[in-house]
Amino acid sequence: MSFSFELIIPFIFLIIAGIILLIWGLLSFKMKRLIENTPTSKIRSIAMGLVEIYGEVEPLKDNILKSPFSNNDCVYYKYKIEELRQSGKSTTWVTIKKGEEKKLFHLKDETGSVLIDLTGAKIDIPTDNIFDSSLGKDPPETVKQFLSNTNIAWEGFLLGINKTMKYTEYFIAPGDKLYIMGTADDNPYVKEASAEKSTEDIMIQKGKFEKIYYISDKQEKAILFRYTLKTYAGLIIGSISVIISLVILSWF
Amino acid sequence: MAGVVEIIFITILALILIILFVTIIIIYNNLIRLRNNIDKSWANVDVLLKQRSNEIPNLINTVKGYMKHEKQTLQSLTKARSMILETEKLSRKAAVDNLITDLLKTVFAVAEDYPDLKAVENFLKLQQRITGLENELADRREFYNDSVTIYNIRIESIPDLIVAKMIHLKSVDLFKATAEDKKYIQVNF
Repeated sequence: MSFSFELIIPFIFLIIAGIILLIWGLLSFKMKRLIENTPTSKIRSIAMGLVEIYGEVEPLKDNILKSPFSNNDCVYYKYKIEELRQSGKSTTWVTIKKGEEKKLFHLKDETGSVLIDLTGAKIDIPTDNIFDSSLGKDPPETVKQFLSNTNIAWEGFLLGINKTMKYTEYFIAPGDKLYIMGTADDNPYVKEASAEKSTEDIMIQKGKFEKIYYISDKQEKAILFRYTLKTYAGLIIGSISVIISLVILSWF
Repeated sequence: MAGVVEIIFITILALILIILFVTIIIIYNNLIRLRNNIDKSWANVDVLLKQRSNEIPNLINTVKGYMKHEKQTLQSLTKARSMILETEKLSRKAAVDNLITDLLKTVFAVAEDYPDLKAVENFLKLQQRITGLENELADRREFYNDSVTIYNIRIESIPDLIVAKMIHLKSVDLFKATAEDKKYIQVNF
């Protein structure tokens, strides 16, 4: 078979994609093992270092946020505003603004509560709300308010016709149950040894030496199930992509 | 053509070996982390056992003037305190720890019959402190036993078993009193 460089390129990409999938699968395996191997601590008796805890979000007094589009009470939110744009015959969603904000909060279980600082955490939560606007459909009032505060127009220049836009928000609300794997370290907001309870001296944060700081609103079993799927998907699909590409390349 | 097929097979073989190698590294690191977790969680139990032991003489000094009829209980508490500090064997330590917990419960229960003692501020503070330590100890004992159980299961499961055998990892005892230790306690107290 004659050599054609253009025909080879897609398979080279497939090999690279396969290798990336394999690495992703192995990283998922590593994370799965870490979660499986770390017993859940009771908050009352948290020890310093990497810990796994599960409990309910309790905001600090006067330390609460409002979610950008639905105005719900929360301790963390993330949002994304997208606009449908046309280029040639195809249309694509373009992100025109995104952002997040967080506050310190307590996580409470049946034994006690501990301060949480979300800085540097990988926050794995599902979408809470998606709003949209398009021709003949205005965005909801709460979204309009946010857009006018941030100087984003939902109407086009031409006759004030609405643009096709999508507003997505994710948030962590008081009372939400969270799984946290992070580092228990000194609480910088409490004077050393002045706390009445030992957990008051502790804050869950991103560790100086631990790379892992993972937060999810799912239970441990569900998280493990997802990581198991990711592991198998990465390893199987990755291997198949690499092998098939190599076999096809051998025909050239 | 034969050369290309060879290259492909070598690449596939290399790929399999790389995956295998990385998996072994992940398993090895995990086992080491698990073993270290056990040491760390034991240190966290031990520190509380020592803190509780340090409070026992204060408690005895505070209550002995009031609890004249509980001499036997207080003597047993003193003896158990010395024993838990000296004993190295984990299951024996667990048996003595259970005994101390029971004796402390008895002391606090009996204290209800002594209104004068209940009015002593120092006693109330000690009761609060020791009860807090007991609660934390219960959690950390459970955490230690969870860490040990995870580790013991891991080193006996495939594929971890292979790596565990290679680096000579052995199973670890739970912090749990055996029947023999319970008998020892019954005879000695």
